[in-house]
Amino acid sequence: MDLDLLVGALTAGSLYALVAMGFNILYRPTNVFNFAQGDLVMLGAMVGATAITMLGLPWLVGAALAMLAVAVLALVEERIAVAPVLKQSATGHGWVITTLAVSMILANLVGLAWGPDPIAVKPPAPLSTETFELFSANVSSYQIAIVVITLMLVLGVEAFYGTRSGKAVLAVAEDRDAALLRGINPNRLSSWSFFLGGGVAALTGVLAAPILYASTGLGPSLLLKGFAAAAVGGIGNNRGALLAGYIIGIAEAVAATLLSPGYQLAATFAVMLVILLIRPHGLFGRAEARAV
Amino acid sequence: MSANALIEVSGLDVGYGHVGVLRGVDLAVPQGTIVALVGSNGAGKSTLLRAISGLLRPWTGSIAFAGQAIAGEPPHRIIDLGLLHVAEGRRLFRRQTVHANLELGLYGTRLEKSEERRRFDRVYALFPMLAERPQALAGILSGGQQQMLAIAQALMRQPKLVMLDEPSLGLAPIVVDQVMGVLQRLRDAGTTILLVEQMVELALDIADQAYVLQNGVVIGNGPPAAIRNGDLIRRAYLGAVSDRPSG
Amino acid sequence: MVDTVRTLIQSPRTRPTLLFTLALVLYLAPFAVGTEYRLFIATQMAAYVLVAIGLNLLNGYGGQVSLGHGALVAIGAYAVALAMVDHQWSFWPAALLAMVAAAAVGAVMALPAFRLSTWYFALITLGFAEVVGGLLTEWRELTHGFAGVVGIPKPAVFGHTLTSLDLYWFALTLNGLALAGMANLLRSRFGRALVAVRDNPVAATAAGVSLVRIKMMAFVASAAMAGLAGALFAVQKTVVTPDDFTADFSIFFLLMVVLGGAGRLWGPVVGAVVFFLVPELLTALQSWRMLIYGVALLLLMLYAPHGLVGAIEAGWKRLRTRLGLSNIPPAPSLAAVRAKVEPVAGAALSVRDVEKRFGGVAALAGVSLEVAAGTTHAIVGPNGSGKTTLLNMISGFYPVDGGAILIDGHSVVGMAPHRIARRGVGRTFQTPRMLPELSVLDNALLGAFPAERQGAAAVALRLPRVRREQQASLGDAMRYLDFVGLADRAMEPAGELPHGQQRLAEIARALVGRPRLLLLDEPAAGLSLAELDRLGELVAAIGALGTTVVIVEHHLELVANICRGVTVLERGAVLASGTPTEVFSHEEVIAAYMGSQARVTQAAS
Repeated sequence: MDLDLLVGALTAGSLYALVAMGFNILYRPTNVFNFAQGDLVMLGAMVGATAITMLGLPWLVGAALAMLAVAVLALVEERIAVAPVLKQSATGHGWVITTLAVSMILANLVGLAWGPDPIAVKPPAPLSTETFELFSANVSSYQIAIVVITLMLVLGVEAFYGTRSGKAVLAVAEDRDAALLRGINPNRLSSWSFFLGGGVAALTGVLAAPILYASTGLGPSLLLKGFAAAAVGGIGNNRGALLAGYIIGIAEAVAATLLSPGYQLAATFAVMLVILLIRPHGLFGRAEARAV
Repeated sequence: MSANALIEVSGLDVGYGHVGVLRGVDLAVPQGTIVALVGSNGAGKSTLLRAISGLLRPWTGSIAFAGQAIAGEPPHRIIDLGLLHVAEGRRLFRRQTVHANLELGLYGTRLEKSEERRRFDRVYALFPMLAERPQALAGILSGGQQQMLAIAQALMRQPKLVMLDEPSLGLAPIVVDQVMGVLQRLRDAGTTILLVEQMVELALDIADQAYVLQNGVVIGNGPPAAIRNGDLIRRAYLGAVSDRPSG
Repeated sequence: MVDTVRTLIQSPRTRPTLLFTLALVLYLAPFAVGTEYRLFIATQMAAYVLVAIGLNLLNGYGGQVSLGHGALVAIGAYAVALAMVDHQWSFWPAALLAMVAAAAVGAVMALPAFRLSTWYFALITLGFAEVVGGLLTEWRELTHGFAGVVGIPKPAVFGHTLTSLDLYWFALTLNGLALAGMANLLRSRFGRALVAVRDNPVAATAAGVSLVRIKMMAFVASAAMAGLAGALFAVQKTVVTPDDFTADFSIFFLLMVVLGGAGRLWGPVVGAVVFFLVPELLTALQSWRMLIYGVALLLLMLYAPHGLVGAIEAGWKRLRTRLGLSNIPPAPSLAAVRAKVEPVAGAALSVRDVEKRFGGVAALAGVSLEVAAGTTHAIVGPNGSGKTTLLNMISGFYPVDGGAILIDGHSVVGMAPHRIARRGVGRTFQTPRMLPELSVLDNALLGAFPAERQGAAAVALRLPRVRREQQASLGDAMRYLDFVGLADRAMEPAGELPHGQQRLAEIARALVGRPRLLLLDEPAAGLSLAELDRLGELVAAIGALGTTVVIVEHHLELVANICRGVTVLERGAVLASGTPTEVFSHEEVIAAYMGSQARVTQAAS
């Protein structure tokens, strides 16, 4: 296979893995899958793009602004669209529709605020999207940066789950009542997880912007591919998401060489479906015990 | 009700949804003692513990801990006051290690690093089998080890009072002996214990006082000897069957 | 005045009159206010209603979230378009093709739903929608790509080409038929089974419902309706392009269902009407449409989860209460029902050396027991001894790790729980598993699911043989409700019954299935002393019918009075077995049950 394609696949796969990680962070304490995640990423991209390209702020400042804005928005989403529905019925699926509704609201607001034209974003100096030769493949420094940053982020988030607060989140996911009895407040942890997940989503958007363009069409495709990465890797498992992201990126790239671009999504989707049908809990996921 | 009762429950009515479980329950746990709560399954023993620890909201009645009213308070506030509940079925975080479980016992406390280390040392000293494998996942430990871990987890906060719900459940007799031994040592060191058990004899062996619960009502209480000699236990467990002639 | 209103509300002729009037108005309206544009909009709305009715079946009643129905409409539309334009088919076979194609794709879409959880499924349907959208553009050889299919002719009947008025009437008629068929389905065993699959899958399985088959049926039915709507769509617009079927399209239908009222028969109609009228009235806010829909969806889920129809129903109930009318419909009369409950040929149960392990822990380590046909047997023992585990294994909810379980000599090891139920094994659960929004009678009728044999098509058409079968089941259900003493509360919502009576209702439901082996899991839990007595009498009466009863219990007095045999379990093994007298007079058994054995061990060591 063309090495250039491999590089592109790993880069795209890293981005998908980041989206999946955002999902996983939100999912852990709440068992809720955020349908608005793609739009959060997109919002981060737009805010970042506006700050960096149109206002000329330094890249780090733009990224930080985007992360803060989206994190706060995610927190608001948790408070008004997730927590009340979970309180109504802990096992119901009303949150599917409420997070979907939030997705519609966000997508529309972003469209109204920014219009349909994509904003070009340049990578932060000294990185660039200019390619050079490395081991007979054409890579750009930015692509390398994305892959590396993703790896670092995944490791970083895993490290967080090693801290006491992180362990508390895992405890809530495993046994809510037992967590309550140890003084852990599940509601607070849910809110903070949404805050963190929103921040990761925004960062993903800012990182993706130079390659995928900051535009309002970003949301839906990232939602599906991020979900695919999360599901194939095993929901809640970030290292699995990373690997799954790569797999999906590669599947996409292979489909692009064999089929015309319109069939790409179908092919990727088929791969995901096959994997899920064989292993419904993802490659690294765990089956949950059934209660009768 | 003695003046140094650490827990005082009075006139407690509580249940789930529309279903009432406890009716007019009075109970007092004096400081530095082991109080046993016995009764057959469904009598409401677990429900009482859950009402005290804040998992259930009482309908009427009052609950006081060290003089402070705690009925209806959220669990984390009651824990901060020094009242810990070790739930039945050894509710641990099985996907995390022994050490992580113990660490979670300290969640929400703000102690110096040195004090935290001291607590770990103390708990590992009390439970040497846990010290042997701190990195083992809690889920693969044996039943007895899990029970020890659950108690140890609670002890990390050095509580004034620990409530245990059926610690003997599913454990071999020898292990149960060990667990009861640990409880006695805790009591001797000053921790007050409220022990719920379906295995009556076990509880009566180490308790200073016992309450008998049947169908949501306290049908008697007193020192173990009195409870053993009386009719209460057979009545609570066997109903009229106990009147049948022995074979 | 109030009296007149009350009479009107209670009269059985009111409802049909209103429906007839509505139909008349809708059919005749074009003569009064019809313009080409309005006919176009109305026909399109009718097509949407068709999709929404199908989606309501799947989502409102079945609890599955599908975000791919827009793609199914697309498939139907393209099927008709391509068949009529490229292959000169007449509309009628083309429409049939549309339904079949959409149903087939719906079935494929449904497959992952059986192995994956509900929200996974929602995303997969979303993915499907995107993929289909992409294929419509890409697969140019088939779909004509971007340009779409143009020049779709209007349908013709016996040489007469349908005008837009004819098309409107056709669409209206389709809607009427769909609603009627849907109403029949929902009030039949399929509707009950669907709600059970949504609200309490374990109860559904215990009543013999195959979760997979019911879900698949709901998918296929809703997909076929979407396909038919697509056919209508195609001939009305005469052009279909990929742009007509964006991913947003699917979300519109979900919105209609939720807005109108998920799980309410008229919900899709109300939802589609409101959904259509709002943009017409708010043309100024066109660009804010999605935003408004999103906010509406969010507010609905938070404050009115049963949508507009649900809110109207709640208001209606309040009005009735204020007029002094009861909200509980009258129960079917018992006089029409045969007086006696029929005897049953009980099944023998044989459990041999059964083992069960959870992780590394042995929950059951070689348990054996024999229950003769037609007798009542108890399984007792302290908490954690494995009683419920054993029951779960006999009824098929837990797999068997070792040993044999035979019912009337046939092994049931490895059999799916709903199939074991259909072989005549009924059971109740520690906490009564009711469908709280359905009436007690409907809950009991769920038990008749395996006995009724008429297929979905016959049910939708409400053929005479279906009516006979449903009458028979109704009689059975009322009879057993009377047997357990709940006949006078038959029409109340099951969720509002006190605990003890829910337990009785659950037993009635199990009895309606005419079980030869009845498993009762701690039926006395949470009952008052009076209710305990009644329970004892009831279990004895069930045994007198000939049913084999196995009861897991803690109330030893109850057990001693009604059981012929008792098995005592302790820590996953049989401690003693025999008649109640033998077992309970054994000091060892009593001691072990109460924990003295541990003390004996202590003293010895």
